[in-house]
Amino acid sequence: MAETVASIAALTRAAATTATAYRGRLLAGLLTTFFPLLLMAVWLTVVATSGPPRGWTAPDFISYYAAASLLWHLSGQNVIWQWDEDIRGGDFSIRLLRPVHPFWQYAANDLGQRLVMLGLAAPVFVAATLVLPQLGYHLTAVRLLATVVAVLLAYAVSITMASLVALLGFWSTQTTNLWMLWWGLGSFASGWIAPLEVMPGWLRSTAEWLPFRTTMGFPVELMTGRLSAAETAFGFAVGLGWLALFTVLYLVVWKPGVRRHQAVGG
Amino acid sequence: MNGTRRWADHVRIILICWRATVAAEFQYQANFLAGLTLSIFWMVWAAAGLAVYFQFTGDLLGWTYPELLVVTGLFFTVNGIRQAVLQPNLQQITEYVRLGTLDFLLTKPADTQLLVTLRRLNVGNLLDPGLGLIFIVVGFVLSDAPVGWNLLTFLLLFATSLLALYALMVLLMAMAVHLIGGTELQQIAYGAVELARFPVQLYRDPFQAVLTVVPVVLLTTLPAEALLGRLSPYWLVAGPAITAVSLVVSRLAWLRVLRAYSGASA
Repeated sequence: MAETVASIAALTRAAATTATAYRGRLLAGLLTTFFPLLLMAVWLTVVATSGPPRGWTAPDFISYYAAASLLWHLSGQNVIWQWDEDIRGGDFSIRLLRPVHPFWQYAANDLGQRLVMLGLAAPVFVAATLVLPQLGYHLTAVRLLATVVAVLLAYAVSITMASLVALLGFWSTQTTNLWMLWWGLGSFASGWIAPLEVMPGWLRSTAEWLPFRTTMGFPVELMTGRLSAAETAFGFAVGLGWLALFTVLYLVVWKPGVRRHQAVGG
Repeated sequence: MNGTRRWADHVRIILICWRATVAAEFQYQANFLAGLTLSIFWMVWAAAGLAVYFQFTGDLLGWTYPELLVVTGLFFTVNGIRQAVLQPNLQQITEYVRLGTLDFLLTKPADTQLLVTLRRLNVGNLLDPGLGLIFIVVGFVLSDAPVGWNLLTFLLLFATSLLALYALMVLLMAMAVHLIGGTELQQIAYGAVELARFPVQLYRDPFQAVLTVVPVVLLTTLPAEALLGRLSPYWLVAGPAITAVSLVVSRLAWLRVLRAYSGASA
């Protein structure tokens, strides 16, 4: 156990070092930070033309999307592209020979890259909150702590969910397409297309029970101070429930999957 | 050699390349079907995503829902061409430089720019422009726009849009030969087209001004305005003029890069 933890830490460090070596790639990754801000721009137009929808003012949208653009970097979904490539290209066989389970290899690799990305994006975000009066989070110590835990939960759920879909690569070669369908549908329930509060009521009440909100909407809503204590507890319960379910499913699917795996290349 | 014959030869060469690449890719029929399914899914996704805004407003700065469908259709057309043509060729060019294939291509009696920019096709997205056309037609019919000269101006600005995309592609190719960094350049192309998902007015100033100068406005906003019969006449001249300048500049950049290129295989 201690050895596994040490290996994961070492792999994460190695991935972070590699990430800093490819500066162009890093810059391109950082540019994607702006995509949530495009959606924000459209909402600001809605507010300007027909008033705040469901009471959401311009500063509300700005605060929401600024936090969302930061969290976007922790979506954890990049692991599926790596899994997919490795299973098809044959590098997965090498991963199987290593003493740490492939899940941790991919997760550590992703975490290292994400930490570098966040290391660059987070200071900009903090500076922006100090300069822009529209960005008001009014964080208390308790809420800050809860937000940090919610972000960790978001990353854990997201990476476990992506790895579970990646396991289907043992049966099919189309996991990335499947993932895009899954993510595309989920983006309506995660708070990515729009904050859930401005979504139709039926969608919002369904989304509260789905795993997607845990990965994005929940931490952002928590941080912007929109959730009561009861709603916060409910959000954590749903997130932990899905994390447990995905973990169990992963373990169940892994065994027959890896037995089915036919090593390609080498 | 006389000018028209040279053009005809080049068209023939490109058609031969395309026949070969389509034949090669159609061996993977499941891939083609998966690509088509995913494209249809993303179109429905985009239309549903737009509907979220229209819960609260009848129009966004003068753009109604059907009118935005026209823009979305144009976005899918342009984005489909980016994925079908720009993406595979840009991916190849770094390989051409690394392996020395570019040296070989330079010795061929056809124009190298044409060969490297249009040689490959990604069949999975080949039908996207057709799917985009469906949205353009549906949006146009539902929007009660007049039928007349606007169809002609639309064709002019649509051609302008595609040529502007081609100029961007040549510029990225030139940069790729110079920098040998494919991933980042792909991200630039992706980002530039992604900005054109909404008409530039929705971003409002100062971003609207920036996107008009960096001519993202050419890609979808102007052809859509032309079709809906509300393009300011000034753009009828300025649009094609900007595109013509971009084509010349990108051509010069390409020739300049080739002159500085010292070969990889020798």
